[in-house]
Amino acid sequence: MTRVNLTVNGRAREIDVETSKLLVHAIREDLGLTGTHVGCLTGDCGACTVRVDGATVKSCSVLAVGAEGADLTTIEGLAGEDGLHPVQRAFWDEFGFQCGYCLPGMLLTACELLEDDPDPDDDAIVEAINGNLCRCTGYAAIVRSIRCAADRMKDTP
Amino acid sequence: MTAIGTSVRKADGEVLLTGRGRFVDDYVLPGMMHAAIVRSDVAHARITGIDTSEAERAPGVELVLTGERAARHSGPIPHFIDPAARGGRRAEVRCLAVDKVVHAGQAVAAVVARTRREAEAAAGLVRVGYERLPHVLDADAALRPDAPRLYDDWPDNVILHNHYGTGDVDAALETADLVVTETIRIGRSTTAPMEPRGYLASWDRFDESLTVHGSVQNPHQLRWMLARSLGLDETRIRVVTARVGGSFGLKMQGHPEETLICLLSRLTGAPVKWIEDRRECFLSGAREQVHRVTVGAMRDGRIVAVRDRIVANAGAVTAQPGWAMPNMSATTLASGYLVPNVEAELHVVATNKPPLNAARGFGKDGAHFVMERVVDLVARGLGADPARVRRVNFVPPDRFPFRTATGLNIDSGDFPGLLDKALKALDYDALRDRQRELRSLGRHLGIGLAFELTPESADGPGTFVSGFDVTTVRMNMSGGVTVLTGVTSPGGGNDTAIAQIVCDELGVPLSWIQVVQGDTDRCPSGFGNFSGRGMVVGGGSAALAARDVRAKIATVGARMLGVSPDEVEVTGGVVRVSGEPDRSVPVPDVAAAVLTRAFAVASEVEPVLEATRAFKPGNINHVPDERGRIQPYPTYSNCLHAAVVEVDADTGLTELVDFVMAHDCGVVINPALVEGQAHGAIVMGLGAALTEELVYDDEGRLLSDRFKSYLLPRAGDLPKVRLEHQVTPSPFTMYGNKGAGEAGVGGAQAAVANAIEDALAPFGVTVTQVPLPAPVVLDLIERARSK
Repeated sequence: MTRVNLTVNGRAREIDVETSKLLVHAIREDLGLTGTHVGCLTGDCGACTVRVDGATVKSCSVLAVGAEGADLTTIEGLAGEDGLHPVQRAFWDEFGFQCGYCLPGMLLTACELLEDDPDPDDDAIVEAINGNLCRCTGYAAIVRSIRCAADRMKDTP
Repeated sequence: MTAIGTSVRKADGEVLLTGRGRFVDDYVLPGMMHAAIVRSDVAHARITGIDTSEAERAPGVELVLTGERAARHSGPIPHFIDPAARGGRRAEVRCLAVDKVVHAGQAVAAVVARTRREAEAAAGLVRVGYERLPHVLDADAALRPDAPRLYDDWPDNVILHNHYGTGDVDAALETADLVVTETIRIGRSTTAPMEPRGYLASWDRFDESLTVHGSVQNPHQLRWMLARSLGLDETRIRVVTARVGGSFGLKMQGHPEETLICLLSRLTGAPVKWIEDRRECFLSGAREQVHRVTVGAMRDGRIVAVRDRIVANAGAVTAQPGWAMPNMSATTLASGYLVPNVEAELHVVATNKPPLNAARGFGKDGAHFVMERVVDLVARGLGADPARVRRVNFVPPDRFPFRTATGLNIDSGDFPGLLDKALKALDYDALRDRQRELRSLGRHLGIGLAFELTPESADGPGTFVSGFDVTTVRMNMSGGVTVLTGVTSPGGGNDTAIAQIVCDELGVPLSWIQVVQGDTDRCPSGFGNFSGRGMVVGGGSAALAARDVRAKIATVGARMLGVSPDEVEVTGGVVRVSGEPDRSVPVPDVAAAVLTRAFAVASEVEPVLEATRAFKPGNINHVPDERGRIQPYPTYSNCLHAAVVEVDADTGLTELVDFVMAHDCGVVINPALVEGQAHGAIVMGLGAALTEELVYDDEGRLLSDRFKSYLLPRAGDLPKVRLEHQVTPSPFTMYGNKGAGEAGVGGAQAAVANAIEDALAPFGVTVTQVPLPAPVVLDLIERARSK
């Protein structure tokens, strides 16, 4: 077992994990944050996406011990005290999900994109989410949701 | 206010968006153990012995179960749709193979351990001895008299052999101006929801009862099936369908692991969880067929006869209903066309591939693919525009209800109307000009049309494919409403749309309504999710139950207001005197009166603020007509797909340039939810048309067992898919609504195939298969060139 100290959604946490444990399993089992999902364990679907020090990472493809000292954000950490994040609201308003299983990847990828590029065109949105699979929506509503979030975030400085 | 017809946001939005949606893998119970499954790595063999000793000694292991021992504690798994009930053959299906395996990937043993890793590690230590038997993977080969046989007590490998259709095909072909014959192959694809299957079973040894949390579509049928296979009384079992992360048919019951995980819990006395991994999920097939089709047409474009000999590869027999899908491929011919003479011969064949499992389209997709290829072959043979040939053959809007040659009674529609909408959206004539222009530059633009007729909300006599469902509407003392329904939602959102219906019918705000689904201890006995039935029968029964509760509220509310019940209306959470909005009483006050003043102001009504109703739509008829045809569907949604592609003839790569679907599912309860599912279905069809295929080696082992080799469409692979709407109400459902969510796969597949053939017309290519990845397209070009 190895002790890992990290910040999770703004809170300092400490977990003991086997060195071979994947980050996604540590998040789900040791941190109890089951909003991060397992879809393939091969890094293809993106349902396990989290942000590590601001960058989106497929947490099935890295080890938990590698998160020592990291600042981790999961889907649970998106909403603030004043309610849903604008990206979450846009996904709700624009029907950007059906079953919701792919949401960790779609939401966190959208947030990362909009921080880098507040006014992405559709091609940039598609490129950003191309590493995330969704089987329900056919992606159209997801692209629309991110577009909507960008428009709203632009209008509210 | 009317909620029906508006795009109300999904009721579970906040829960899912904040990561609080509880899927089956998110449940943790005290003392919970984990299961892993040992699967056969050979396609066909006798099991000569299983050595579990090393696995039993491995760290954390609680139990290693073999098929032999499992058979002492559990019986065969009953079929969801019994082939014998349809004139076919059944095979005994067990949760673990007993003497023999019939496909690679079949479960032969299971391990329960403290952690999943320990269970998986120990599973690798189970030694299974196999005496290999000859195997057969191809359905045509499996039909040969000398083919290896899967089941010793069968005379061949045929699960079902049947004929469908009416008319005189031979005579019609004789007089036809054009006769085309082609062999068309539909490759094996799969549903691949983002969340694989999973079950968490807890046997309670104190009160001898079983609770199962599962990612499943049909909780009540699963309870019945578990009662049979485990020898338990149904009253001792509770099935809770955890939130489901997509399903598309895969999670209809009949999978061996359902019985297996429950048995493991019973034997260990601990809660046992099993979550399918992605590789296991890819074992399930969705479709695989060969059609040998002959079509006859007249010079004016009228199709006079279709003969189709269908051979469907069902893989090994399972209790899941997937084997029955090819039936629909036969009976959905000739789709929405006026073809008077149709003859379909169907062989559903068992092979040593893994089983077919139910999948969105449920075989209708096969009929659409073939029929739409056929229409294009006719157009090509006559040198006619494919849009015109469709128009000539469509059942006209004034002929409904229309009985097809195979017996389906299409309720309503305006198929030429859909064609007009799609062609307009494409700017069809201009696009044809553009095509000619590009051709002169050596570029290959193609336009493909495909019509799709989706029989919805099926009823299979004597099966759990039920054409009705049941809903309870219950109002509490505060006026809050709990809706308990037998239909389930694997993500599509029918819970939201059912709440909209109750909102309008009961007359209370949407925010007062909670919909509960997927719990056999709470919801009325119903049939879950399949066949586009959620709103037809879930919505219909919710409306009836809501009306009953509303009537009681109106009666008591009227008495509280000192008027007669026919003078009041219930709306927006108040009972008010019609035309006098100031004279009103809040519904919560009325609810409280019903429940606390039963011998006073509410003495006229029975003090139960609850109603349970079933809705049986019209148009279903199981009495065979003079030609032996039955009619298992109330309503038929329909759509017209148009795909525009550009094919690079040097690389074989197809680029999707544009896609339009004109859609008619009757009256729409929640437009955004319907559109969302249509997009999803279309994209599933595009994947099955271009990139998705389950590939096996010669030994029957799956090669495309991950998302790196089984290629789902990604956002960057797709054009902007556009939808056009048309509303032709169904006369046979509550609101004129038709099913939604299932349509899209077969039509999208066909439109792309037709577009690729159209693009490659200068080479004279005939598209005879899907999927059509680049190497296949290059082969087609080469084949055409060498002719």
